[in-house]
Amino acid sequence: MKRLLEYVGYDPGRFNARWISGSEGQKWADTTKDMTEKLKALGPNKRFSK
Amino acid sequence: MNKVTENLRKTAAKLLQDKEVEMVIGYGLGSEAVRTQPVFITSPEDTEKLVWNSFCVNGLTKYLSDLKTHPGKLAVVVKGCDSRGIFRLTQDNIIPRDKIVVIGIPCAGQLSYTKLASKMDVSGQLNDVEEKGDDVVIKTTKGDFTVKKSEVLLDKCNTCEHHNPVVADHVVGDAINASPTPDSYDEIKKYEAMSTEEKAKFWLSQFERCIRCYACRNICPGCTCRECIFDAIKPDWVGKEIDVSENELFHLTRAFHLAGRCVDCGECDRVCPMDIPIRLLNKKLLKECKELFNMETPGSVEEGGSVIGQYRLEDPEEFM
Repeated sequence: MKRLLEYVGYDPGRFNARWISGSEGQKWADTTKDMTEKLKALGPNKRFSK
Repeated sequence: MNKVTENLRKTAAKLLQDKEVEMVIGYGLGSEAVRTQPVFITSPEDTEKLVWNSFCVNGLTKYLSDLKTHPGKLAVVVKGCDSRGIFRLTQDNIIPRDKIVVIGIPCAGQLSYTKLASKMDVSGQLNDVEEKGDDVVIKTTKGDFTVKKSEVLLDKCNTCEHHNPVVADHVVGDAINASPTPDSYDEIKKYEAMSTEEKAKFWLSQFERCIRCYACRNICPGCTCRECIFDAIKPDWVGKEIDVSENELFHLTRAFHLAGRCVDCGECDRVCPMDIPIRLLNKKLLKECKELFNMETPGSVEEGGSVIGQYRLEDPEEFM
């Protein structure tokens, strides 16, 4: 999915998939923080919107 | 009449006469010799309508899905590329293997009418096609034209994995010894190498043109869901209107539903009335599945799992 989105011109940072267990609270927090920062820098996605 | 056509008619007539099948799905002549169309033959006398030449571009396997409730067995004429669609349908449990009789024709490559039209005068009535070695002779009311086959070959036939059908109960015509030329995915690599902006510009300009006729879905031997997500109204997963974002969602979802399942027959590209290079999306996913999961082209063998439907310990886990 990620590769297909990149192929049609989405920024690689826009879609992320991670496997995080329910017991890995710290990893969850770090990953979401990291993703949020990257997404804020990219700005809103203009595609898939009306 | 060429030898293959002759044998094809004989084989089909015998199948119908012996009541082994109730219908033969094959190619018949259209308005001109270079225009063939699917024909559905139910009586031995009608097998005269069957033809085989270098312009039998249609894939006929999807009709098996459309006719899956038809009582009695069905025979279908396939080329190498279409034959993978047979295993797609049987693996997906759309139609049982023992309900189909496969008539396989080894194929050296099909020719493109569009390319032909750029090489010769097609304004007359095109009456006959004759193959002479590397050339093809087209007899028309405005004279005979000889064209080099390699110059008018369909793009998809430049790379061909199976000249000979992967499955056939009856083979009509001589096996082709030419070694297969699997796709090196050079074209996909070219599109991958573009910048994010270039890719977005290219693909949006393609998706923008889509008229949502769903021809690509209807012809696809892998698109056989009884209830298609694109037809569903409740819930309305994908908007029905023609709009670039809805169109994009349609194309990406369709491509993803075929990931690891697409048999690479190229029919989606051929049927698109807007010339959207749909196959580039499917090919991209085929390339990725081959690289990640060491998969062969789906439909190449009778028993094949789907890479997305099964787990193996050695699967790459990029998202861990």
